Amino acid sequence: MLTLIAVATSGLVGCNDRPDGAAAKPHPTTHTITMEAVSYKPEVVTAKVGDSIVWVNKDPYPHTATAKDRFDSKEMLPDKSFTFTATAPGEVHYVCTFHPTMKGTIVVK
Amino acid sequence: MKAFAFVLAGGLTLAATSALAQAPNDAQIAHIVVTANQVDIDAGKLAAERGTNADVKAFGEMMAKDHTGVNKLASDLAAKLKVTPQDNPTSQSLKAGGVKNVSNLKTLKGAAFDKAYMDNEVAYHQAVIDAVDKTLIPSAQNEELKALIVKVRPAFVAHLEKAKSVLASLK
Repeated sequence: MLTLIAVATSGLVGCNDRPDGAAAKPHPTTHTITMEAVSYKPEVVTAKVGDSIVWVNKDPYPHTATAKDRFDSKEMLPDKSFTFTATAPGEVHYVCTFHPTMKGTIVVK
Repeated sequence: MKAFAFVLAGGLTLAATSALAQAPNDAQIAHIVVTANQVDIDAGKLAAERGTNADVKAFGEMMAKDHTGVNKLASDLAAKLKVTPQDNPTSQSLKAGGVKNVSNLKTLKGAAFDKAYMDNEVAYHQAVIDAVDKTLIPSAQNEELKALIVKVRPAFVAHLEKAKSVLASLK
């Protein structure tokens, strides 16, 4: 009985595909970070494992989003985007390799 | 070699101090912005081609790309506002300084070229930031023009930081 309710309820709420009625896994979310005025906005993003982070370059100059050994967008021209999927928890500090004043952090929980 | 940096920076110092005498109008400000960018684009292209140290070449390429980006924003805005950039003594001084810098750099090669180019870039960007803060932003009448200069200022700060770090690595 409880199992049925759990499945029915989660059917209304969203997308729990688990037939055993266990607590729904949170949806992966997409976080957008814009590169503008030579900075990352927002500068700190908190994400869950499985979430995607998308950087979009809104500046008139190329930028990168680079975290050694984790991800490297390489040169992103204006209006280009780059996506990274967070696969492990932890704090990732990243920079723009062209503009040393440009720094950001992703906190993956 | 440092003399050329001062000649170049002199044009912008002029812009900064002349704020007391006569502020540039928006058409002149637009011209100064475009000229200042073009000067650095030209020097950057030369360094990308002629530099020896990999960081110097990369810096030159970045100058060419970034300042081209700023110029596109500035030109687009000038067109939108129907402002024709107006030539003025500050722009002329900048242009003359730029020509002199490039001529000097062309007589150099190897480590001497790299050092002279980077020395100039540090002085130049410092002078640009000073002019932006003391003259261009305070004098700009049109809000969009002012906002554009404010928006691009962090790029010049980033350039200055990078230039100092590259210069330090050459010593």
